[in-house]
Amino acid sequence: MTVQVREHQKTPLWRNATVLKWAAQLFVLGAILAVFALLVSQALTNFASSDISFGWQWLSSPTGVQLREGIDVVPDSGARALLVGIVNTLRVAISGIFAATILGTLIGISRLSKNWIVNKIATVYIETIRNIPLLVQIFFWSALAVTLPALTADDVGEYFFKVSNKGFAFAGIFPGLGWLPWLMFVIVGFFVGRYVAKRRKKYQEDTGKPGHGGRYWFGIVLLSGIIGWFAWPLLGFMSHVFGAIESFVDGLPPVVFPIIIALAAIVGSMWWIRNFFESRRTPAGFGKMTDDDWFRVIFAGVSGVTVAVLAFVVGGFSLETVAGDTQSVAELIRTVIGNFFGWLSAAFAGDVSTIVAETQMRVREGGPLVFSKPAVVLLGAGIPQYARTGLVITVPFFAIWTGVTLYTAAFIAEIVRGGILAVPKGQTEAAQAMGFRRGQYLRLIILPQAFRIILPPMGNQYLNLAKNTSLGLAVAYADIVAVGFTIMNQTGQSLPVVVVWMAFFVTMSLTISAIVNYYNRKMMLVER
Amino acid sequence: MSDNGQTSERILGDPIVITEDVKKWFGDFQALKGVTATVREREVVVIIGPSGSGKSTYIRCINRLEAHQEGTIIVDGTELTNDIKNVEKIRSEVGMVFQQFNLFPHLTVLDNITLAPQWVRKRPKAEAEEMGMALLEQMGIPEQASKYPGQLSGGQQQRVAIARSLAMEPRIMLFDEPTSALDPEMIKEVLDVMKDLAASGMTMIVVTHEMGFAKEVADRVMFFDYGTIVEEGTPEHFFTNPQHDRTKLFLSQIL
Amino acid sequence: MTDMMVAPELEIPPEPPPKGPALWMRENLFSTPASAFMTIVASIIVVLAYRGLLAFVFDPKGRWDAVTFNMKLLMVQAYPAEDLWRVWLSVGFIIVLAAASFAVWRLGGMAEPRNVGRGLMGLGGAIVLGGVLAPFSTSGRIIWIVTGAVILAAGWAMRNLTGERAKDPVIPTMGLVGIAMLIIIALIWTVDLPWPSRDVDGNQIIVQEPIATTTTIPWTLIFALAAIVYVIFRLLGARSSGGAIKGTLTTLWVLSFPVLLLIVLRDPDLDTSKVVSLYLPVFVVFSVVGWLLLAFVSRPKTGEVGRVIGAVLLVVAVISFAFPMPFVIRFLLLLLALFALAAPTFGGEGAANRRYLFGWVGTVLVTTVAALVISSESLVEVPGSFFLGGLSLTIVLAFTSIVLSFPLGIILALARTSTMPIFRLLATTYIELVRGVPLITWLLVAFLMLPVALPNGIEVGGVMRAIGAMTLFNAAYLAENVRGGLQSIHTGQREASKALGLSTLQETVFITLPQALRAVIPALVGQVIATFKDTSLVTIVGLFDLLHMARQVIPAQSQPFSFLGSIKWTLVFAALVYWVFTFTFSRVSQRLEKKLGVGER
Repeated sequence: MTVQVREHQKTPLWRNATVLKWAAQLFVLGAILAVFALLVSQALTNFASSDISFGWQWLSSPTGVQLREGIDVVPDSGARALLVGIVNTLRVAISGIFAATILGTLIGISRLSKNWIVNKIATVYIETIRNIPLLVQIFFWSALAVTLPALTADDVGEYFFKVSNKGFAFAGIFPGLGWLPWLMFVIVGFFVGRYVAKRRKKYQEDTGKPGHGGRYWFGIVLLSGIIGWFAWPLLGFMSHVFGAIESFVDGLPPVVFPIIIALAAIVGSMWWIRNFFESRRTPAGFGKMTDDDWFRVIFAGVSGVTVAVLAFVVGGFSLETVAGDTQSVAELIRTVIGNFFGWLSAAFAGDVSTIVAETQMRVREGGPLVFSKPAVVLLGAGIPQYARTGLVITVPFFAIWTGVTLYTAAFIAEIVRGGILAVPKGQTEAAQAMGFRRGQYLRLIILPQAFRIILPPMGNQYLNLAKNTSLGLAVAYADIVAVGFTIMNQTGQSLPVVVVWMAFFVTMSLTISAIVNYYNRKMMLVER
Repeated sequence: MSDNGQTSERILGDPIVITEDVKKWFGDFQALKGVTATVREREVVVIIGPSGSGKSTYIRCINRLEAHQEGTIIVDGTELTNDIKNVEKIRSEVGMVFQQFNLFPHLTVLDNITLAPQWVRKRPKAEAEEMGMALLEQMGIPEQASKYPGQLSGGQQQRVAIARSLAMEPRIMLFDEPTSALDPEMIKEVLDVMKDLAASGMTMIVVTHEMGFAKEVADRVMFFDYGTIVEEGTPEHFFTNPQHDRTKLFLSQIL
Repeated sequence: MTDMMVAPELEIPPEPPPKGPALWMRENLFSTPASAFMTIVASIIVVLAYRGLLAFVFDPKGRWDAVTFNMKLLMVQAYPAEDLWRVWLSVGFIIVLAAASFAVWRLGGMAEPRNVGRGLMGLGGAIVLGGVLAPFSTSGRIIWIVTGAVILAAGWAMRNLTGERAKDPVIPTMGLVGIAMLIIIALIWTVDLPWPSRDVDGNQIIVQEPIATTTTIPWTLIFALAAIVYVIFRLLGARSSGGAIKGTLTTLWVLSFPVLLLIVLRDPDLDTSKVVSLYLPVFVVFSVVGWLLLAFVSRPKTGEVGRVIGAVLLVVAVISFAFPMPFVIRFLLLLLALFALAAPTFGGEGAANRRYLFGWVGTVLVTTVAALVISSESLVEVPGSFFLGGLSLTIVLAFTSIVLSFPLGIILALARTSTMPIFRLLATTYIELVRGVPLITWLLVAFLMLPVALPNGIEVGGVMRAIGAMTLFNAAYLAENVRGGLQSIHTGQREASKALGLSTLQETVFITLPQALRAVIPALVGQVIATFKDTSLVTIVGLFDLLHMARQVIPAQSQPFSFLGSIKWTLVFAALVYWVFTFTFSRVSQRLEKKLGVGER
């Protein structure tokens, strides 16, 4: 018999699987980009015809925005107003995450309790809270707080704690003049302490004698805190360092920034392509690349060059502003970076107004931390009002915080319950056999194992909580969305504000998922 | 290699699967290092070899579940390239049976069998069902037609999988370790079906560890190691008088 | 947003042993000193909370009149009173259809007497406790305690006197539902509700009025009809396997929403001249030309010429968007291109091909009718931009955005799990960007930015904008859920279908998607519930949904009666309505899940 291997035929282009695949992808990509370009150009035309042009000048110019609460209620620029909004959002989100975790865990465990009545309470809580929209609940808490007694002229004075329909006021400890320099001491102490603790642990492993790593660590942090309390002014020189960086950045020609971005894009795509080639390198030689692989490489290269070119194009854009003058995007980037270092410089110089710019009512002074009590004062027209000397929980904050915390706690409870139930029954039996009591084995055996199952969905809930704080808009809580909305109304700069929102929320989402992923990986390592 | 090793009355036809110097890489791992072989119509070829030797990759290249990177594969006169038309044609002419059965769990046994004839071969539903029932009959499990795969034993599932492939009326059947996931008592029922199939004149390429099956049914045995065919020959020749050291070592370990 | 994190089977019901109450209490309430302490603290909390709740509900000064007086506003906003029969017809149709479906699919099931007894005992106990705790008049207190005691005794009898049969599931659940319906009917005929009125001096007071007959009569009729239909279908179902009935009911469910919404509730003004001049010709031309074209393309002999024709049609459809023409023609061109592209896959010879061609004609028919109905003026005239408001708007928003987001979500999920890098990149970018930013931001974008981004001449109403934003938002979440299902499918499934010669499209439609969707039913149900709750956000952008009525419209009313300061009561009522919907939905879906899962795994 003879084996006839025919000549390698050429596949026609319209039947070549690889070509078809990439043709379809590029067609869809082109169609989507076309629709997008159409919408954007239409929007720009429409805005131009109504005399609005987008820019970023509002970030550095006064917008006339007044806020009801935050680190600065009459911000002098759009950027500062946004910063206030961001801090307010983070305030609710972070404190809410902690509170919801604790409450949710307790309810989740109660849901598994053998105690009938405790179990039922937890069930009713979950089924009620979970099935009612969060916004309804937020409005309800707001409506409830408004029915509290009003402040009158008789209430003027200082208090440790005060309740009224203007909110709740507590005495508290606040950052003072030397806050940031002092914090540097504590942070340095923390890392030194960690290093010492590791050495002590090694010592313990080598010699078998107790190392007391944790005690050393704690002691060093405490010591550096105490030293920093008195020595913080010594760090004043940092002010000059940051000041120098600021003037250096200000002195750079704007074109430097597009160059940096373009270089990063090119280097990034080259790096990716190099790695890709490396992964395709075979012992038998180089170049076992499928057509698909070539398309990938070409796509990566083209993307890198496109981003680089775009950096220059966009960087050169002159944005006309509300005030009428123009600034290029590159200049704007320079201003933002410069301002950041300027802020650090001022903070280390002890210029407290830039750290916690206080209102007309009070300036915090003294050391790194100060104790302060709330007071009720009469404002201009004789209206009683909380002075911002204590921790004031306003009605909007109360409504949004209570709402998101209780709501998220219900979901966290279900996650905790599921996680605990997912731990094999044998673990409980083994723990009981060893004589652990219920509280002990829950804490020592079950919860640590459940934690691993719980963590990923828990991260999702944290994300949801953080995003749900945006409902503060509905009760006039000055979070990032509400502040942006106000700026939009004052300046008409809707597109830039939307970009800021997206940037903020996407950054926050990525941060939270990065933290969760970090712990998740750590857990996985422990498991092995 | 010659035709003298025929063990049955089957008359071998023309070459139907031709592979010429086939090479395949997974990343930087070369799974096939130039495999050249020819399978003729109605021939039964058994491929044996240690795990990771490339034998599964080889038969998966024949119906292009994996794309080879160098060399030529010609199945029934059609060369396997990234021409979508050729791939479609070959897939419907080459049946494949998997180690893990891979039945569709959301469809009944009969629907598993009739799906492809209906939508690929464009058979009317009634005709497809009639043929499906006939095949189940042939496999000895007509009463399971309306059950779901999850309700069947492993051996029954594998027989359904064979019926599902046969429903496409393939000219070549590939078996990728069809009995490896089965309990010992079920292996026989599947092997019996395969023997019947071989006797009916189907062209079969079988990757298996069942040496009994190889001795009894195969026209030819190929031994794969490190991505190449180390040795091939008739079963008698192969099991009684292996030439190569690696073949001897392998046979001494499994027999 | 994932509401259903945990499968319901995991629940540990506190099983009361059939021993005496003293033993039960010792085991479940006072097993350890710590447990006893918790029991006491929890009991105090329960008693205080219950007392507070009753005091709130039965407070004679409570502003429940704001709810009862404005019920129409809360439900349908300003829908004209003489057209309300359309609303009743829609509600009635859905309830009757549900009753028929329950009968045909036998979703009712059987309950065990001991469980029913336990439920009754709980209810009776709660009523007795309420009578003791709540600040009622003496006579009211007695009525409560006596009623509660009777129910309690009935429950106890059912639990303890049925003996061994207590554990057999002998009580049909639907019977219990029927009894509950009877009680509701009796209550709406007899109970008086608070209603605003004026005393002789013209001061606003609250009086007790019976429920209006315009409300009571339709409910009575609907419930009676539902009961009759249930019984009839049960009897029918007992005779036959019910395949045809099931098919009809499914079709009715699919059609009910668009038909009720667009035709019954909207009462479109169908313009005959437009029908004759545009829609009828469009239907005929597209049916006939499409039929011939598809018949040619789907023939196996045609080969790749068919693919080329499909691609050309697709380009033509895309280009058609640049030229002025009725929207229905553009849309049909696009559909025809997609049908042509899929023809080699799903068409064929004989019956399959005929089915495919009739499918095309059906699609053309539905599309033209829908386009005609949507483009016609509504004869139901109400102030404002949309003919519905309150709860009806909430339901429309939720349902429409869920239905529309399903195809988009599935496409996104497929793209994200695809082997093609650009599709994956696009889908991933879209999903992460949309999910990373809260819904309220997207709603604001849709209301502030969209109007200026659209070409001149195209205007989108507020409700449509909200639906659009919610659809795009939901699709990203759905895509992630579906992706979970797609990833749970074993690679062997894909290989097996490839080895059988199925094309990628066939593999997706017949093998991958059915398995993926089935695997993620709980997550999908959670997403649907989340969407229903998320509709409440439209109040922030000023749509008149249920929450907007409750928190903004009613508490700001001063004429003819003043409801200033009634926000707490209206909010609680809105919360109750949302709760009833989501809770019912999650329970029914749990039942469906169990039913669907049978025998298929």
